[in-house]
Amino acid sequence: MFGQLWLVLNPLLLSGVYFILIVIIGGSTDSARYVHLTASLFLFYLVANSLTGGVKSITAGQRLILNTAFPRIMLPLSAVIIAIFKFLPTLIVFFVVKAIIGSPFSLEMLWAIPVLLITVFLALGLAITISCINVYFRDIANFLPYLTRTLLYLSPILYEASDLNPNLKVLEIVNPLFPILDSWSRALVHSEAPQISSLLQGLAWATGIFFIGTYFFLSREREFAVRL
Amino acid sequence: MSSLSASNLHKTNELAVSIRNVGLTYTTAIDKRPTLKARIKAFGLGGKQTRVVRALDNINLDVNYGQVLGVIGTNGAGKSSLMRCVAGILPPSQGRIEVYGSVSTLLALGVGFNPSMSGRDNVFLGGLAAGMSREEIDGHFDEIADFSELGDAIDAPMRTYSSGMYARLAFSVAATVRPDILIIDEALSTGDAKFKEKSLNRVKELRSDDRALILVSHAMQTLRDTCNDVAWLHKGKLIQRGEPNQVIDAYQEFLHLGKSAAIDEDV
Repeated sequence: MFGQLWLVLNPLLLSGVYFILIVIIGGSTDSARYVHLTASLFLFYLVANSLTGGVKSITAGQRLILNTAFPRIMLPLSAVIIAIFKFLPTLIVFFVVKAIIGSPFSLEMLWAIPVLLITVFLALGLAITISCINVYFRDIANFLPYLTRTLLYLSPILYEASDLNPNLKVLEIVNPLFPILDSWSRALVHSEAPQISSLLQGLAWATGIFFIGTYFFLSREREFAVRL
Repeated sequence: MSSLSASNLHKTNELAVSIRNVGLTYTTAIDKRPTLKARIKAFGLGGKQTRVVRALDNINLDVNYGQVLGVIGTNGAGKSSLMRCVAGILPPSQGRIEVYGSVSTLLALGVGFNPSMSGRDNVFLGGLAAGMSREEIDGHFDEIADFSELGDAIDAPMRTYSSGMYARLAFSVAATVRPDILIIDEALSTGDAKFKEKSLNRVKELRSDDRALILVSHAMQTLRDTCNDVAWLHKGKLIQRGEPNQVIDAYQEFLHLGKSAAIDEDV
C-alpha cells in the first residue's frame, strides 16, 4: 500500500512501540531517552536484518548454487548489503527525530562513522557464519527470532549502558553489540567521544567473528552443492 | 567469467577440457532434513545414518575446441554430476579436471530469475547470473527480446507468464552468452515445436571452431544432427565414446535389450 514508504514507517513504528514499553515499565518520558532508543534500535536492526537475511541465503539460493559456479560468499554478503540499504533511510529518520526533539548536533557525532564501520564488519561476519551453520543445522533459522530478541534485551537499547546494574557488568563483555551500541549512543545522542576501549572491544569481536566465520565458510563452500 | 568476446584465442583441436580418473561419491543422509534434532537423535543411536552413492566412477574424457560432444545415458547415469564437476560446481572426490577457457553452463533454465519482477528485469538478472556484464546485456537486449517472441509481455511480471513463455525467455537469455566452453543440460526441450526448432538452430549457430560445446540430451535425433562426438554414460561409468551414429545405435540397442555384457560387468 505504502510501498517504499515502509522503509521509513517501519523504523518509526518500531521505535514508537518500544518507547511505549519504556514509558510503561521505566516510567520515563524523557525525550533524550527517545533519541537514544531510535539511534540504538536502528543500528541494532542493521545487525538483526543481516542475520535474518543471511541465515537462509545459502539454503534459499539452492538453484543458483547447483547451477552456476560463483563465490558462494556473495550470498550472505548481499544479505548484508540489503540490510545496509534498509538502514540508510532509518538514519535519515533518526536525524529528523533528533532535530525535532532539539537534541544538539556536534562534531563529536562523527565518531559514529567508525562505529558504523565496525558494526557493518560485525554484521558481515555474523551473516557469513550463520548462513554456513544453517546448511548443516537447518533449524537455526527457527531459533533466530528468539536469538535476536534476546540480543535486543541484552544490549543497551531499551536502557542506557550507564544504567546497567553493576551485577550484570558481565553483559558488557559477552555481548559483541554492547560496546558498539554504547559508543554509537555516546557519539550520536550525547555528542561525546566514545571510549577507545569500547571501540577496540567491538572491533576485536567483529574481527574475530569475521575471520572464524569466513574460514569455516570458505573451507566448506565446495561442499554446499552436495549438502543442499 | 565468460564473455561475449568475438576474438577467441583458442584453436581448433586444442584441448578444452581434460577429465582424468574422475570419481564422485556423495554421502547422502538418510534423515530427510539435517536438523539439530536429527543430529542429536543420531548421536544417541551412535553415528549418522548415511548412504554412499557413487555418482561417477573413474571417468576419462577429453574435449577439444571445435568439438560438439553429446552426452547420453539413462536417468541417474551421472550426466548432470559430470557437467557440474566440469563447471566447478561440485568438487570431484577423485581425479582431476582441467578446463582451458571460460565455461558457461546451461544446466537449468531461468537460474537467478525472480518471478515477481518484469521479464525485462529478469533478462538482466539472468544475464548477470550467467556471467554477462550489464553493458553486454544492454547491447544484446533487443536481440534477446526478439528471440523470445514475447512482444509487450516483456514488461509484465514473470509470475503472469505461462511456463512456455518463461522457458522461452530463459533460453533466449542463455543463448546470448558466448563462452569458450558451453555446457547445455537438457535445456532445449522448451516451448512449442516452432520455438524448439528455433532454439535448435541457435545451438547449431553456436558451433564454431573456436568453441567447445557439451550437450546433454535425450533427443537422439538432435544429437545425431548436431554432434560430432558422443559419450555414453551408465551408472557413473563411461561405456562408449566416439562417432555419434555408432554410439547412439549402441545405446538404443541397449535400451531395447535392457542388458549388455559391457554394462552388467561389475568391477
